[in-house]
Amino acid sequence: MHVSMIELKAALRRCFEATGYYVGNYEDAANMILWLEKHGLNGLSELQRALPYISEDRTKPLSTVIYEDSTSAIIDSNGRSALNCIAASVDLAHAKALENGIATVTVHNCHNRMFILKALTDCGRRGISVAAYWQNGSQTVTEHTAAIKAGERYPSYSEAMTTLTANEEDKQALTIICSSRVDLTSSLQRSKGNRNASYISAEQVELNKEHSVDHGIDIDEDLWARINKIGEGVLVENSDRSRQGAGGR
Amino acid sequence: MTTPAAIQAALRGDNALPLRPINQVMDLERLGAIHQSRLSFMRTLVRRIMRERWQIEPARFELDELGYGTIVYEITTPHKLYSFVLFSDYLSPDERNDRVIATKWDLTMALVDGEVDEIYLEKLRQNVPKQEAGRVDARVFVLSRANRSARNFDYVVDQLASGKQPDVAQIAKVGYLYRTTAVYGSGKLGMADWEKVASRHADFARPFSAEMFVCLMLRNFSLLQAEHIAQHKTPESYNPMQPDIKRFFGIGNSTGLGMAPYLINHPLLINQWVEMRELALARVRVLGNINHRIQQQFPELLERCAVHTAETVTEDEWQTANNQQVLKDLDAIREHTRSGFNSWEALLQWSEVNCSLQGQEMLVSVMLELYPELVDDLEDYHSAEEFQDLDPVMPLQELKQVIENRYQWALGFDFAAEGAKDTFWYRSEEKMEPRLGDIRDEDGKDKEMALGVAYAVRRCYDQLSEYMSEHPEHSTARFMVAQPKLRGIVRRIQSMNRCIYGDIQANLLDREILPMHLLRAKLAFFGVGKFDPRSKLWVRNTMFQGAPLLEDIGRTFNDDWFMPLAPQQEGEF
Repeated sequence: MHVSMIELKAALRRCFEATGYYVGNYEDAANMILWLEKHGLNGLSELQRALPYISEDRTKPLSTVIYEDSTSAIIDSNGRSALNCIAASVDLAHAKALENGIATVTVHNCHNRMFILKALTDCGRRGISVAAYWQNGSQTVTEHTAAIKAGERYPSYSEAMTTLTANEEDKQALTIICSSRVDLTSSLQRSKGNRNASYISAEQVELNKEHSVDHGIDIDEDLWARINKIGEGVLVENSDRSRQGAGGR
Repeated sequence: MTTPAAIQAALRGDNALPLRPINQVMDLERLGAIHQSRLSFMRTLVRRIMRERWQIEPARFELDELGYGTIVYEITTPHKLYSFVLFSDYLSPDERNDRVIATKWDLTMALVDGEVDEIYLEKLRQNVPKQEAGRVDARVFVLSRANRSARNFDYVVDQLASGKQPDVAQIAKVGYLYRTTAVYGSGKLGMADWEKVASRHADFARPFSAEMFVCLMLRNFSLLQAEHIAQHKTPESYNPMQPDIKRFFGIGNSTGLGMAPYLINHPLLINQWVEMRELALARVRVLGNINHRIQQQFPELLERCAVHTAETVTEDEWQTANNQQVLKDLDAIREHTRSGFNSWEALLQWSEVNCSLQGQEMLVSVMLELYPELVDDLEDYHSAEEFQDLDPVMPLQELKQVIENRYQWALGFDFAAEGAKDTFWYRSEEKMEPRLGDIRDEDGKDKEMALGVAYAVRRCYDQLSEYMSEHPEHSTARFMVAQPKLRGIVRRIQSMNRCIYGDIQANLLDREILPMHLLRAKLAFFGVGKFDPRSKLWVRNTMFQGAPLLEDIGRTFNDDWFMPLAPQQEGEF
């Protein structure tokens, strides 16, 4: 079915608010998903994979900084979804880059890392260049990178299937490089054995956005119903007393 | 024409104009006291239509003798062609309901990009009359509905049918034939997002411009329909309505709580509107030459405001008292300036001592009205990029200072006091309608909307102070990793600190909160008049009263429909 971007965002906000995300985080989560979908990078497919687990984060510990110096940090996200923790990690890299020119933040145990693209784009818009790299998968390992130049509005994104074997220690890790001095670009090397490699340029990402602005978003009806069903958790039961609270006579 | 650089230079820095203080302007009660002005969105829209001589012609006119059917207008602007589509259906009196929870209306409307062919019209016919229960696509960018003011409508039709004119005194009581009960834009129900409207439809690229346009078209149709029905009723005696009486008809509007969360959830946009109004005022205070023309026009406008206020009918005691006070204030201003005056600055300061808030703000609107050359070019600067960005590098000491400087008003509330947190705002399962609850006797606090900005700032400040006792050297980014629950409010505090005016200053959780102030503030920016509160939670008002008619487009236009007055009826002196 067809929805507008603001409808999708509002429904996602309610969905994450009902799931227990806090103020600021539920907007971030909604924006991260919408951003990917709006820019042709399959945010709703990512959400579909994440949706069964989003309520589990409520009981997980918050992210912790396990190492930090002036130009780097290592953050353990404790198995949380990027939807509720990656923006803070990018902010930390952003702050260190502003202070020292360039910084690296490595995030461990973080799911749904594709959602970093929105946070990364926010940095670009605000004059900071960022690149990110991560691997994913246990059977077939895929690798991913995205980057944006300082002052730009759109990042580039690359992904490929590799012949690498999954390394337990690397799983769910993500490296963020941020700079206020150097414009970072990224693309995957033509590594031996890489398959189905794709590179989506910043220009293509922009074109995808223009299409969404013109036509809105197509969403699977079942997924739309699921998002809204979860979002009903923020609604309060109707009553005569409650109707008075709307100002009706 | 002004430029962004000129505006910035006037707002900030060594050469900035003297703006009114933040704590004065952003006080909720004062915001709730402002009136329409020449920067109101209805005024700026009509100026554009009249200057650009938009061509608005019926492309389909299918009304039966009772006024039911389908109308399509084509609107040709300098940039594009749009279609205004209206469906008029029978509605029984007992089905007529102005609340958002209604499911049927007398009229439903859509504003559409481009021409509408038969197939697309049918698609609209299947969906537009259903409003929230229907779906449209991104060609549509406004959906609205309206209900008849039955008594007024039937009266006007009867008068015209019998060859008479409506009694102006009666119109002064209820100055409209239809009330619009919702005007949806910006992506609701599958419509085009604001991003599309702003980037693709230059004619409507100002906030709420398209929504206002639909209300203007509704006003036009309401008059056309009344004449159409009257003419068919008794063609032999029918007389069309006189244009000056027609112009005195506006469109009724009922606005409820739904508008209140918008103001809190779009603080950067609201700040922008306030900044432009205050900049306009600062220009007048400093640059507004008080010459002979102004000395003559000023008392005339005060008189017009007084008559307009006196003609405002409301049963609400609070509003009646306000209107009475405004009349006294206007008298006092006239008396004070009777023998001439030479400084707006001095007059404004005098009003702050001698007039009510509504009287002071009426003076501001009059001052703006007198200087189109100083005010009107700000009309193109009412949009804002609404990014609430975190400043991750800000040291916590600075963040603390920002809160202490910019949110002293919030820290000043005693949230432990009785009633300070008794109100909660929530969405009902009934059409997600925003409602107010009282924690003392209602459930739902756990699902409240995050509108308690003042309380959130207080909690943030306390937790920040505690965190700083251990990590005084940390940055905001580091604080956010440790305290992610504060991300929303910290981001807001930092973003609003980058604005001149910042957040609306009120504790929206207080038991005594008056949401009416929020509604009224937004409606004044829209440009409505004749406020008629029906409770503390919803207000009736009139839009476009006094505005030019469609048939006036292309004729001379002096943009002089501020605080419209009842026309003199034939036979009156």
